[in-house]
Amino acid sequence: MSSQASSLRLYLTCIRNTLDAAMCLQNFPCQEVERHNKPEVELKTSPELLLNPVLICRNEAERCLIETSINSLRISLKVKQADELENILTKKFLRFLSMRAEAFQVLRRKPVQGYDISFLITNYHSEDMQKQKLIDFIIQFMEDIDKEISDLKMSVNTRGRLVATEFLKQFI
Amino acid sequence: MLEDGEEKESMACFERVSPALREILLKLYRAEKAVDFDHHLYEFGSVEYHIESSAADPQHKYLSIATPLLSQGLLLASGLSTYTKQMVQDACSDVVEIVEPQKEGYQLTLRLNFAKIPRGKDFDQVIRKLSSVQAVILSSQLKEMLQNVNSQDIPEGMYKPIKLVYHPREPFYVIRQPEKIIAVFPIRFREQTDVIIATAFFQELMDVGSSAKWAKAPACTWSPIPPPELRGEPLEDLSTNGGFVSFAIAYNSPPPPILMLRLANLLWKSDISFHHVEGIKLDRTVWSLLNFYAYIKNHVKCTRGFIQRRMQKRLDILVEVLKKANSKENEHVKEIEANAGRRAIRKLVSLSKLKTLKHKCGDFTRRIKQIRFRVKIHGFKRFRRRWLTLPKFSSAMGYTRLE
Repeated sequence: MSSQASSLRLYLTCIRNTLDAAMCLQNFPCQEVERHNKPEVELKTSPELLLNPVLICRNEAERCLIETSINSLRISLKVKQADELENILTKKFLRFLSMRAEAFQVLRRKPVQGYDISFLITNYHSEDMQKQKLIDFIIQFMEDIDKEISDLKMSVNTRGRLVATEFLKQFI
Repeated sequence: MLEDGEEKESMACFERVSPALREILLKLYRAEKAVDFDHHLYEFGSVEYHIESSAADPQHKYLSIATPLLSQGLLLASGLSTYTKQMVQDACSDVVEIVEPQKEGYQLTLRLNFAKIPRGKDFDQVIRKLSSVQAVILSSQLKEMLQNVNSQDIPEGMYKPIKLVYHPREPFYVIRQPEKIIAVFPIRFREQTDVIIATAFFQELMDVGSSAKWAKAPACTWSPIPPPELRGEPLEDLSTNGGFVSFAIAYNSPPPPILMLRLANLLWKSDISFHHVEGIKLDRTVWSLLNFYAYIKNHVKCTRGFIQRRMQKRLDILVEVLKKANSKENEHVKEIEANAGRRAIRKLVSLSKLKTLKHKCGDFTRRIKQIRFRVKIHGFKRFRRRWLTLPKFSSAMGYTRLE
């Protein structure tokens, strides 16, 4: 197995284990506003309800921030962008997904600053869905994003090559 | 992957024939009765056609064209240059007659004699040639420029670039040198995404062009800074966000050996000269250069569409994964509920079994008891009831009925 694949496996395993440990959410009413129930990880009004955030880095360009609170969990991802084309493809793709966040339930419409995409899992989500399935989804999402960006880049270059060949054919 | 059908379909927009004009001309040609007809047609925002037909003169139709000129230097008081007019005339010499002076507001007016269009299958070819008149005007302007470049610059070692403005926002330059012609395209896009897709395409174009297979194709280079040939041009023309693409086309180069063989074959079959074939090649080259901007834009547009489709597909897959997780969860819950129901039924079933068992057991013990008391004394039952049973005591608080 190549070192890159092994580093990715380690990175994903680390995230999986951290999520497994962090995803023990329970219903907790807001302490500031009566009869309100808000994700504490977003509001951060009561420090006693927050856990220490965990930052997992694969390299300088790829990292994952897991912030946990008593009733919610926020996962923010930074996806690698090796060149301009990857950068534009990543931005376009993640924006496309964020615009359709309602389809995912756990996807945040706006990523946390410094990250490309964020998920917000509340106790309601963890009650509705199986915990392991949710973690599997996050991990598969991360794998798919990487795969999709590299595939898209390759396809764009292949298209460019074919179109360039067609153009040059006109001169011969 | 690339959808070939889509690419081929998109190539249709680079055809020389104007589809709308062709349709109108075909309609006029097929009309059984001559009618008064006056139609204005606009294409690409800057090309205008005016088609006129009169019932009084059924043989002749009038086609006027207004098209942007490639270079302002070519603008003559009488409209188009003689060379361009000659090229238009040559395109379909039998049917077309140039009207002098041209209609006001147009650069060229043609009188079309439909009676001279051959009947049968060939009429479509003639109509197609008539419909591609704008492409002929455009190409002939560039050809003329290439032929009439002032050669006085050459001894000084300075080759003045000719600025060609087909579209106001998309000028390009042609520089004629003794051995080659260089065409330089400054690339500008409004969006950064387009710039990056186009840049990726230019890099592929350079890679493909530099391979041995495409040695006969014009050398293509892309650079983010203006090439030295454009030194001295206005700054606003040289400020781009997509860099500069240059094509160096060898001028008057002899035909390649394979082409020579094919030409020899053609010459044997028909009367085609080398010069004519060179003319066709030049025509194709000129048309490709004129459409280069459109080509890039089309590629960028198609690529953006392709990316969008891929993203939509991936979104569907990801949503499906989440849905499956949910549905599995629901299935699990249903299974548990179903199992719970079965257990309850099982309980009911088992309860009834126990009851019957107990009932059967009761019968059995009674019989055993009966078997134990084998000696039966007649009247003993009554005796036992009278003398051996304990009297029932009523409570002090209780009520005793007086007799």
